[in-house]
Amino acid sequence: MVTNRPQTLTRITTVLIALMLGMVQGFAQSETDPNSPTPVLLNQAGSKRVLAIPAWKYDGGDPNDLATEVFRPGSEVIFFVRNIELMKGEEANAFRINVSDALGRNYRFNVVDLFPVDAKGFEGVYALKVRLIDSLGFWSESMNEGDVHVSVAWRGLASEKLRLGYGSTGGNLKDVETGDSKSQTSPSAELVLGRFAGDRMRFFEQAGFGPNTALDSRVRRIGIRTYLAEQLEAQYPSIGNPYPIIPLKSTDTQNTLGCGTVPVPRTPEYDVCIRDHYTMYPIQRWFFTDALYGESQLRHKVSWALSQIWVISGAGGVTQQSSWMIAYHQKLSEHAFGNYRDLMRDITLNPGMGNYLDMARSTRNNPNENYPREILQLFTVGLFMLNQDGTIIVDGQGNPVPTYDQTDVDNFTEVFTGWTFCSVGCTNSLPSIPNYKDPMIVTNANNHNITSKSLFNYPGAPNPTIPACTGCTGTNTINYANASLEQTLDNIFYHPNVGPFVSKLLIQHMVTSDPTPAYVGRVAAVFNNNGAGVRGDMKSVIRTILLDPEARGDVKTDPNFGKLREPVQLATNLLRALNVKNAALNGPSDGVITNYTNGVGQNPFNSPTVFNYYAPDFTIPGTALLGPEFGIMTTGTAIGRANVVNTMTFGQIGTGANNPSGTRIDLAEFTALAAADPTGNQLLDALNHKMMHGTMSPQMRAIILPAFTAVSAATPAARAQAAIYLVATSSQFQVQR
Amino acid sequence: MKESRREFLKKSGCALSMVTLATQVQHLGMMSALAQKLDDSKTATEGGENYKALVLVYWSGGSDGNNVVIPNHNDASVSNYAAYSAARQTQGLALAQNTLLPISVPSVGGLSYGLHPSLGTVAGGLNNGIHELWGLGKFAIVTNCGTLVSPMTKAQYQNNSVQKPYQLFSHSDQVAQSQTSISNSVAFTGWGGKISDRMTLGSNPTGIVPMVTSIAGSQIFTAGQSSLPLAIASANNTGVPNLANVLNPAGFNTTAASVARRNAFNQLRSIDLDSNYVAAASNVTDLAIQANNALQTSQEVTVTFPNNSIGLQLKQVARLIKKRLDLNVNRQIFYVQIGGFDTHNGQLVTQSTLLSQFSQAVRAFYDEMVVQGVSNDVTTFSLSDFNRTFNPASSGANVGSDHAWGNHMMVIGGSVAGSNFYGVNTTNGTPFPTLLNGGPDDTSTGTGARGRWIPTTSVEQYAATLARWYGLPENQLPEVFPNIGNFTSSNLGFLT
Repeated sequence: MVTNRPQTLTRITTVLIALMLGMVQGFAQSETDPNSPTPVLLNQAGSKRVLAIPAWKYDGGDPNDLATEVFRPGSEVIFFVRNIELMKGEEANAFRINVSDALGRNYRFNVVDLFPVDAKGFEGVYALKVRLIDSLGFWSESMNEGDVHVSVAWRGLASEKLRLGYGSTGGNLKDVETGDSKSQTSPSAELVLGRFAGDRMRFFEQAGFGPNTALDSRVRRIGIRTYLAEQLEAQYPSIGNPYPIIPLKSTDTQNTLGCGTVPVPRTPEYDVCIRDHYTMYPIQRWFFTDALYGESQLRHKVSWALSQIWVISGAGGVTQQSSWMIAYHQKLSEHAFGNYRDLMRDITLNPGMGNYLDMARSTRNNPNENYPREILQLFTVGLFMLNQDGTIIVDGQGNPVPTYDQTDVDNFTEVFTGWTFCSVGCTNSLPSIPNYKDPMIVTNANNHNITSKSLFNYPGAPNPTIPACTGCTGTNTINYANASLEQTLDNIFYHPNVGPFVSKLLIQHMVTSDPTPAYVGRVAAVFNNNGAGVRGDMKSVIRTILLDPEARGDVKTDPNFGKLREPVQLATNLLRALNVKNAALNGPSDGVITNYTNGVGQNPFNSPTVFNYYAPDFTIPGTALLGPEFGIMTTGTAIGRANVVNTMTFGQIGTGANNPSGTRIDLAEFTALAAADPTGNQLLDALNHKMMHGTMSPQMRAIILPAFTAVSAATPAARAQAAIYLVATSSQFQVQR
Repeated sequence: MKESRREFLKKSGCALSMVTLATQVQHLGMMSALAQKLDDSKTATEGGENYKALVLVYWSGGSDGNNVVIPNHNDASVSNYAAYSAARQTQGLALAQNTLLPISVPSVGGLSYGLHPSLGTVAGGLNNGIHELWGLGKFAIVTNCGTLVSPMTKAQYQNNSVQKPYQLFSHSDQVAQSQTSISNSVAFTGWGGKISDRMTLGSNPTGIVPMVTSIAGSQIFTAGQSSLPLAIASANNTGVPNLANVLNPAGFNTTAASVARRNAFNQLRSIDLDSNYVAAASNVTDLAIQANNALQTSQEVTVTFPNNSIGLQLKQVARLIKKRLDLNVNRQIFYVQIGGFDTHNGQLVTQSTLLSQFSQAVRAFYDEMVVQGVSNDVTTFSLSDFNRTFNPASSGANVGSDHAWGNHMMVIGGSVAGSNFYGVNTTNGTPFPTLLNGGPDDTSTGTGARGRWIPTTSVEQYAATLARWYGLPENQLPEVFPNIGNFTSSNLGFLT
């Protein structure tokens, strides 16, 4: 692997200076080098073949003496890796061996052990014990014997590919000249963009809705750590964009407490009444406005992620009113920077959820399993028992161990009986209008099941049983119900699965679809204990996710690092990067941009089901790779996304009844660059920085540059449009990486 | 017909066949030698006169089959209407007997059963619905069908002596199992995709589109190991009304600058493929661009389809079938979906609406196949997550039902041996389960039992019957359906 020389040098310099000053922890926090070194897999002298030894033969010492060429499938083999700096507790599960064969098929070998090599001349070299068994399991036939390529990935960085004799050597494996295809940040670019510009710009995508010019220049000065600390304390919703205040209405739109009888002919006032109360329009508009312009990017992002985990939806009119969804979102955002246990309680009792998953209708005599099942499956513990690094625990036969069974669901269901809307005596109680704002309560004691329940019984489980409330009636039952609910939520919350389950979901929404177990484990450990003995502290969890070395760095080369931009992220990232304004370009966009997401699979707050727009365990068709967002990336939506970019780049969202000011990108900055530099290089540099955080490959550049400069230099705006279209429709940009 | 196809091929020299495409999209090693290995022994046939298609209509959310097929007789030796009513009347979930659409069932001794009234003529309907097809012998029902690893009695279920499907009663897992046909382990490919892996090169050697098409997004049913599906919008998705537009990148013209931009747009997908995610995005886009070339001449259907989601999805399928000669395909598998069946509450109204939409759309589709002259070559069939509890959830106006297991599937087409129930007999000696909470076919016993029927017919048997008719060679059945050997028969006999 050709190392990234300028960055390596600067890193070394930084470390030296820090050491000399003896203040590693405190030194210029904003300039902490986010880059991990790129791992180097040792090769056999003078060859592209990996240096490897059967594990049973190796007991330390100089590996060159024992180098072997052919390895038995299924056996354990030692590889050697250098140029890594391990953190405390960083172990074998931080490494993956990616494998590809002569047919171009991908496999993965697990690293099962890691230890330093104790031999002269091998200081800093680690031995990786690798099991030559494909852990992905996609191909039903076993791997063909012959040479395969192996590469080690660590913290989002991949080593060079080397050959391994799998069963035998030979075969048709072609060596690819990988070279260094990633663009480099030149020293002069560093002066302009600031150091670690790539890392900074990626951070804005992970921790918000993408970079814009103002954020970029500000954080260039203060650094992402200071920015992150600010974000964790920032006012939410952002200043100038409070939650819309929408009153509750009758569930009958035609009721006088609704929008009344439909006027003939329909009037604009009536249409607005329906739109604002009985559709998700107000919250969508508010949501996009905050994503495009809000200061509290991180909390907005985490709330958006939570809304895709704890899903309720306006689809099919189930969550009928925007006011219900707003009340719901307020709870999500309140606890996004709070504690997960509080989120569990407030969402359980939220009337929107009570309606969406039927807890509001579940009674002792007619229980409803919907909510109890999904709070376990989707919101807290998941289907299978997990190790603390998020990997699934299997039994002796290799089958995953279920977290619970139908009997457990039955028992949890009994707890969640009897709650309903607070129609009298709560802040928002109104006659004849269901209270979809205040927490649900138990009003009819008869509706709660007072028999004993058996809950989770993991080691140390609080409240593994809820005793019966023998002979209870009235207030006694209601008190018992409320206490039981808290005990039950504790029983779920302290389940060992919750940390890794929730941590992995949040990592997937923010950083990468297929995090290493080590990364999940680091975040789960903080979920379990934030260092001050608190479990479920969201600020600590989010900080850990974003500052993890697997998330950070200027360039990521692991083939499995990153995630497809979901439609909301695609649209907002582009619009922010392209200085979004209103249609007249004289003010802000009105935030009505669902046109850019609905047709490609994501209508915000209208998920098709409680399973969200895409499943967290979705594997990309034709692969075994986790890629949740690919669940809505089909032949149809792939073209749909290009057509969204086409409209955004060459057109606009004009004004209309529901679009008071419209939405349009402001090309001025890019047109000026196109005009100033007829070669097109300045424009492309800017797009590379703003849209791809400097990762545009030389090949990509070589394709795009002549294509947009085929547009006459006399029309620089058209040049800018062509360039933007090509970057924005590229697969390279579809993936946040 | 042959000539028109050859002319088309001549005219569209630039159009790539899927076989050619296969060699081009090696990004992920998807279109691999596997398909060749499996298929090269077979004789390539020409498209057209040997056409067959399978159309899966997925009832998403778990349809309550207990209110779709109901005893309409008084014979007390098997569950009768009174048994049904007794369990569902109190909470308000029972359908009145006089509203049922009667069907006579030879395999249950000629007893009368009743279909949900929405499967017949409905107010404002476009046609008479699918009930009429029962009488015409084009409609069969496979009863008490569900996910299984191997046959299982109630005792075996309760003492865990036979492996259960993993995560019974969970939506996502039961959807996956019904679409992969595999219930003992997580699988990456669906049975539609696996059939495509094995039959594309033999059956569609010059096909211009993939064998499998989804009109309802990415579904595991459609994913193969070496072949990927087409997924396109339904007939009305705003702004993309017809086949020529569903995969067409907008905004290009014939000026030199636009051509340069279009070429670059396409070239960018051939680089930077070291990233698996970039490669996956490029791969699916390539597939779309290739198929788009073939979809530029559209052919409108004759029959009127309902203007709702399922109607417009099936209309899109009918358009593609009408284009089969241009697309050079002999075999096609389609996936469409109707959602909203997860009726934990408000079931009476919701299910009635959905079944009416389903019935109207499927009938329009069947009629269109008759017009196109391929009704014997196209078989439409249903699957769902699971059945719902016989014992209702909640009550009154809110009444619904919870997640359960064995369900009743529908098969419709000219090759269906219709007007009958199919499937393995339950404990009562008929293919129809005993409708009794805690009874012999329920997973549970006692007061908490809610009526979750243990399937007697597996999804694999059902799917294998369809796959054999479609032309999957006998020796490849166990590859696609790895547990089929656990069951006594891989042919339920509902197709001729």
